[in-house]
Amino acid sequence: MNTADRVTQWFRKAETFKKLSTLPVSLLLNFVLIVPFAIMIFLSFTRWEPLSGYDWWHASVAGVPRFIEAFGDVRLFWALVRTTIFVAVVLPLEFLLGLGMALLFLGDFRGKKAFTSVILYPMMMPWVVVGLGFYLMFQYFGPVNLLLLKPVLGEGGMVDWFTNPVLAFIVVMIADIWQWTPLMFLIIYAGLAAVPRRLVEAAEVLGASSVRILRTVRLPLIKSLAVVALIIRGLEAFKVFDIVYIMTGGGPGVFSTEVISLYVYKLSIVYNNTSYACAVSLMIMVGLALVTRLAIRPLEVKV
Amino acid sequence: MPKLVVKNLRKMFGTFEALKDVSFQVEEKETLCLLGPSGCGKTTILRIIAGLEVPTSGEVFLDGVLVNDLPPQRRQIGLVFQDYAIFPHLSVFENIAYGLRVRKMSEAELVKKVRETASLVDVESILDLPSKKLGLSEMQRVAVGRSLALDPKLLLLDEPLSNIDAKARERMRTELGKLQKEIGIATVYVTHDQLEAMTLADRIAVMRNGLIEQIGTASEIYDNARTLFVANFIGSPPMNLMDCEVVYDGNRVILKSGDLALDVTEFAETVRGKGEGEELVLGIRPEDLSLDVQKTNPSAIEAKVQLVEPIGARSIYHLRIGGLTVLAKGYAMPDVNVGSNLWATFNKDKVHLFDKKTEEAVV
Amino acid sequence: MVTKALTETVRYLLIVVVSIWTLAPVAWMVSLSFKGPAEWYAPNLIPLQPIFDNYISLFIPTNPIGGSYFFTSITEPITKPLINSLIAAGLGTLFAVLVGFLAAYGVSRYRAGGTFIIFFTLLTRMLPGATFVAPLMVFYASIRFIDTYAGLILLYAAVTLTYAIWLMKGFIDEIPPEWEEAALLEGASPWTVLRKITIPLTKGGLAASALFIFILNWSEFLFALVISVTEVTTLPVQISKYVSAVGRMYGTMASLGLVATIPSLVLGYLIQKHLVTGFTFGRIR
Repeated sequence: MNTADRVTQWFRKAETFKKLSTLPVSLLLNFVLIVPFAIMIFLSFTRWEPLSGYDWWHASVAGVPRFIEAFGDVRLFWALVRTTIFVAVVLPLEFLLGLGMALLFLGDFRGKKAFTSVILYPMMMPWVVVGLGFYLMFQYFGPVNLLLLKPVLGEGGMVDWFTNPVLAFIVVMIADIWQWTPLMFLIIYAGLAAVPRRLVEAAEVLGASSVRILRTVRLPLIKSLAVVALIIRGLEAFKVFDIVYIMTGGGPGVFSTEVISLYVYKLSIVYNNTSYACAVSLMIMVGLALVTRLAIRPLEVKV
Repeated sequence: MPKLVVKNLRKMFGTFEALKDVSFQVEEKETLCLLGPSGCGKTTILRIIAGLEVPTSGEVFLDGVLVNDLPPQRRQIGLVFQDYAIFPHLSVFENIAYGLRVRKMSEAELVKKVRETASLVDVESILDLPSKKLGLSEMQRVAVGRSLALDPKLLLLDEPLSNIDAKARERMRTELGKLQKEIGIATVYVTHDQLEAMTLADRIAVMRNGLIEQIGTASEIYDNARTLFVANFIGSPPMNLMDCEVVYDGNRVILKSGDLALDVTEFAETVRGKGEGEELVLGIRPEDLSLDVQKTNPSAIEAKVQLVEPIGARSIYHLRIGGLTVLAKGYAMPDVNVGSNLWATFNKDKVHLFDKKTEEAVV
Repeated sequence: MVTKALTETVRYLLIVVVSIWTLAPVAWMVSLSFKGPAEWYAPNLIPLQPIFDNYISLFIPTNPIGGSYFFTSITEPITKPLINSLIAAGLGTLFAVLVGFLAAYGVSRYRAGGTFIIFFTLLTRMLPGATFVAPLMVFYASIRFIDTYAGLILLYAAVTLTYAIWLMKGFIDEIPPEWEEAALLEGASPWTVLRKITIPLTKGGLAASALFIFILNWSEFLFALVISVTEVTTLPVQISKYVSAVGRMYGTMASLGLVATIPSLVLGYLIQKHLVTGFTFGRIR
């Protein structure tokens, strides 16, 4: 057996496959993600910026001052608070609206398929376009003002959405809700439809009304599914960036819609405060990991 | 007044006619069994009675009241599904209590009623178990209990024993039978197993392709099968059926089937309606053939043994009589083997005659 | 019976309301995209004088719109960003699907990679992209990957890899392993098994996953924004430039937005069709 044959033989073995199958993945991930990650950890212990004049690997380790700085950073604090408020408002609304839509669509009716396609498409649009769309709609002379508020509240009812901090925040939330309620709808609907018909019929024969069946049979059975959906969407909502950037850029005024992703972005790219950005990023990563772990643990037991 | 009256039920699913014209009645405390092969429509009838399906035409009366337009919630009927449909997220207690909670029964009464029902179906020991952990026969009992807790007017059971393995099935059958006697509720029971039907039902309705072929007590159906299908469906091993011709030979009336000739002169009147050469089907149950090693009976016919199936004290003999294969059930005869000759006597009282598709002439 | 008809009507009404709500933004963008500047501040949905100029000026920025010149700081046509998006999303998806499928198969059938892969999968999904930007820039700057196709494509592949593995593993898991085991017993190598058995069986799921990941990459904004300078600007980045540009070109913004969305919608529709061929998304069933 010459070398060529031996190599081919080795190549075909199951064990080799096992190792080889994940090799490209490891390579790719290592290169693109893990190396920067390591750099991030290193840099967060230094005081370095691209403008410092020297290459980053020459930076001297300065200990933990950057982390301490983060605790004193008021802007960071408020960014976190805003993001939390954002998630806290958007998540339940998306869930409830999605639930409502799912209930609305339960059962057959004419044109169901067509309506379902229509309902689902917001999920598929690029986030920036969603931001764009709502930006255009909520302009002072845009349809929301002209078609909704003016007829109802008269000339004085028109609002400048993007110059008012609270209103701008609301517009951003509306955009997110618009885009992602269909996802909740999809998941919840799939769960509800998967409830075996037999169980519903059994409850009917036992005298239960539709509302009661919903409450005592359908909803309990989708509980675990709902939890998963909430966690997934919650994490995604926390990461919101695109629509905020497009619609408000963090404004109006003093950072009134600056969510955490936006702040970190600015730190990294606009202010070039690299090592600080790394420290903050690291802290956020660790924080998120902890929170998710804590949130999942009691549920894992139940599920 | 009969508890349940079903009149001229017809049900179409698209272009498929599941029920053609079904009518029957169930009296108070009576158990009626709907027996038939898969797809004959028996489950559909049950669902219509419960209100889960709407008949294309026909009427359903409960206690004399027309209930066609009444939704299942208000019919006060208990229904036990084939797969039991136990609520998996509730405990046994809560499953049984479900209907009682719908009625907003007070907590104290509810607990009492649940316990009563639980002891009735023998699930007291597992009341607190989550229903996911139940075995099949336990689930079935909970399903029955859940329906009974509401004191329904009528109990419907859809193939309740078909999911249970053979060993436990016998035990469950006896239990069900005992339960029915104890509670005394009007019951409609659907099954494809004739043994279940014969043991548990007061009356049996044999169904095929959306029609009831015959209703009667177990013995009526067994001894006086009115159609070919019923005769063939009931009985294990099934009735021997032989095509034959009517031959008139002077005073005698003979049924000829291949080489076999059976003198049925004593039943000449009933056969009289049939012309010469008309085709009938002769039916005789395996146990109604007496077998002997010698020709003790003058009208015995020679039979050659082709196969012997021992089933304990008795054996099933596959015989060749006059060119036809016939099954006979008789006592185990140790010396009889393949190739032996036996003499078979037809018990004329138990002979069935059928027109090529419909009725019978003789008991 | 009266109440039944009533609830049905209410239901339809609500569904129509929901549909209008869903269609509103896009409807408005379509409307704007065909309107001349004179109508940009008007509430009418149907343009009184529809024009195509908004679309044309995407490709030829100096073209007068509706007969009037609007001055903006945008001087390039969108052909380059469009092509860039196609390349980045296309190749990024290709790599993600190839690498991911292989890994998903290894994890599903051979338990390769063990818990590390799964853990990492969850991790990348969980963390905000922005937290990654700083070190990424440093790294890319050092290896001169900034504003390069390679840099963007590899990044896209790496980021959507976890989705790819997660989705495709789900589809692979649904295939009973008996067939593959039988082939293995007959002496086929794992690669042959993949090629002849697994891939044909999971084709629908693979296609759906690939389309989904393409949509993700096509829509991606943050990393493209960060990495690109002039060469690899993608469509989403271009959109952001339009928004911050001087002179509020509503019509052109709308047309650009629509152009950017159409691939997503088309692919989304295709996904729905593919999914109907028997598989369900992830673990929903």
